[in-house]
Amino acid sequence: MGTQRSDRFDEVEWDEISRSRWFEPSRNTLGVVLCTLPIAVLGFYDWQVLGERTATFAFVGTEWDLGGIDYLFGFTLVLFAFYLVAPLYQNPRMTRYYWRQFKRNRPAVVSLGWLGVVFVGGLFGPLVMSAPEQSVLTGYQPPVFLSIDAAYVDAQTCVGDVVSGRCQGTWQHPLGTTQGGKDVLASIIYGMTISMQIAFITTTIVAAIGVSVGTVSAYAGGWVDETLMRLVDVVLSFPTLLMFLLILYIYGAGLGMFILIFSLFAWGGTARYVRSKSLSVSEAEYVMAGRLSGANTTQVVRRHVVPNTASSIITQLTLLVPGFLLAEAQLAFLGLGDSEVPSWGQLISAGQSDLSFAPWIVLAPGFVLFLTILAFNFLGDALLDALNPEAEAETE
Amino acid sequence: MGFGTYVTARVMWAAVVSFIIVTITFLLLAAAPNPDVQRAATQAALQGGDPAAAAERARELRGLNEPLHVRYLDYLRSVYTLDWGWADSRSQPVTTALAEGLYYTAQYSVPWTILTILLGPLVGVYSAANMYSWKDHLATGFAFFGYAIPNFFFGIILLLIFGVWLDVIPVVYDTSVPVFSVANAVQLSIPVFVLVTGSIGAVMRVSRNESAEFQHAAFMKTAKAKGVSPLRAYAYHVMRPTLVPLSTTIVGQLLALFLGSSLLVEKVFGIPGLGRVTYNALIAQDTNLVLGATLAFTFIAVFGNLIEDLVFTVLDPRISYDDR
Repeated sequence: MGTQRSDRFDEVEWDEISRSRWFEPSRNTLGVVLCTLPIAVLGFYDWQVLGERTATFAFVGTEWDLGGIDYLFGFTLVLFAFYLVAPLYQNPRMTRYYWRQFKRNRPAVVSLGWLGVVFVGGLFGPLVMSAPEQSVLTGYQPPVFLSIDAAYVDAQTCVGDVVSGRCQGTWQHPLGTTQGGKDVLASIIYGMTISMQIAFITTTIVAAIGVSVGTVSAYAGGWVDETLMRLVDVVLSFPTLLMFLLILYIYGAGLGMFILIFSLFAWGGTARYVRSKSLSVSEAEYVMAGRLSGANTTQVVRRHVVPNTASSIITQLTLLVPGFLLAEAQLAFLGLGDSEVPSWGQLISAGQSDLSFAPWIVLAPGFVLFLTILAFNFLGDALLDALNPEAEAETE
Repeated sequence: MGFGTYVTARVMWAAVVSFIIVTITFLLLAAAPNPDVQRAATQAALQGGDPAAAAERARELRGLNEPLHVRYLDYLRSVYTLDWGWADSRSQPVTTALAEGLYYTAQYSVPWTILTILLGPLVGVYSAANMYSWKDHLATGFAFFGYAIPNFFFGIILLLIFGVWLDVIPVVYDTSVPVFSVANAVQLSIPVFVLVTGSIGAVMRVSRNESAEFQHAAFMKTAKAKGVSPLRAYAYHVMRPTLVPLSTTIVGQLLALFLGSSLLVEKVFGIPGLGRVTYNALIAQDTNLVLGATLAFTFIAVFGNLIEDLVFTVLDPRISYDDR
């Protein structure tokens, strides 16, 4: 405790309970740095030493190649592990409290389970499964337990049995195959990686910009506040999808550009929210008490303002993610997405013309997308109740 | 600050925002090689001419070798005087092409907007009045469904069911039928349904949660005690305060869907509206038309945000103009 060695209770040794030097990392920050270093080194090695066409892990004999987005994804995963999961582990009492609140909302628990499946599938699926490959001979294989008129697949190329003129589905392709013979299940699992990358990277960028702009705006005040909030106005009324289309048209754009543009124009709401919350927190009595005991602005922001806004920021970010996933799927469906990326939208787009006789190509990824968006919405709703007891008190 | 001053300030701010966005589009275009110039060079090279000279000619023709600030002023003038150039891919002026697209977009946007504004708050308030009944759960389920299902995916499925299997609506939008006819209403019913499902969810949720607060308020008790009929009480005392926070949601939802999903829905249903014009221009590499469509949507977005703020202040007399 900061007050232990003091003779008087109102004198707080700030150096002991709060880091006052400019850079004195906490355990979690140290963990982030330690885990980021190997990623950075690997990235540098991939970028400078290896040739353009050499796979990153060629030295251990696999064809597994990493791109810029994969490194960013790795970095955001480290951030989430140390700033979201680790604090939950370090404060078991609060974690249990949140979990009790959260558990009462059953759809949200199911949603969390589903998102867990997508997360694990996206993270480890590509490691254990080979990428879906074109094989023209096994096109239009139906999902298991279903069948398709053998006229669409040659009798020889039907993987399963042909019963009374209909090709039966097999466990070899549990969700069937596309026209080009790509396995739908494998494509969906590879699409999970893309969706998780979009979700993690965009939320990190949005949170970083939103929280910084919000707190700076609230604490600087004056013309800084005015300028930043007008900037937020512009960002909020910016038609992001159209601007992205224009950029795509002029320069061409891949998944990285998509993530960058969409997250650079999505932080407006977060910043506005953090600002108003910071203003109300800075009026609170505990902040005044802290200030009377000699805390400076940095310490107040670090220990009171950011933690008090964190819960709502998490909720807001959870509700932002489905928008990004949807936008990616829409662009992919229009044929304007990153064609090198096997996302769910690409799969839906690929199956659209075969819808009348091979509906699984569209339905399977479409429902996965639907369920994921639904899960994020339920989760956001439940987090709102669990993390914000005030809101609950208001409605009851 | 009075109401008049506030409106003036807000309109001017909208003008500034549109100006900033127009400037960004100019910078984007100026920083990139012009596809028209490249095309001229390629063509010259294919025909055995000098590509550099052809590129130079093309640049001169389009005024691209003027200094940047001259081009910028020229660009601003033509944007704000609606002189948006010639759409090569459609052999007509850009503004005419956009107007033709708007004609079809309006045909489904108007019923969609009206239905969302009418049905959303009604169902929301109804579900707040019957909170936690099966009707409320049904409405909540529908709201989440509509909010979460991707519009284009829902459109594809409905098109498969009603267009291909049941054969009730044409698979590709039929432009030959008159606007006010049963055939047109039938073929637009599915796209309108898809869009309403997408936009009504959030409106229902917000109006339900907001009006839940008001229905146990003291003024409702007073109204009931004085013998006001439930219908009147809900219409006057619950609906009106609910509409204030709701106006933001409604405009936001409609705009978001209009800017994003209209493109998808038009592509799925084959409606030759604004979104489709934009999409075709992208595919045909028609720079003028792409730019024109982007600007048109941008102006609609800026205008929509302006309307939202103005409606907000008109509906809620308590809002002080200084705070905003």
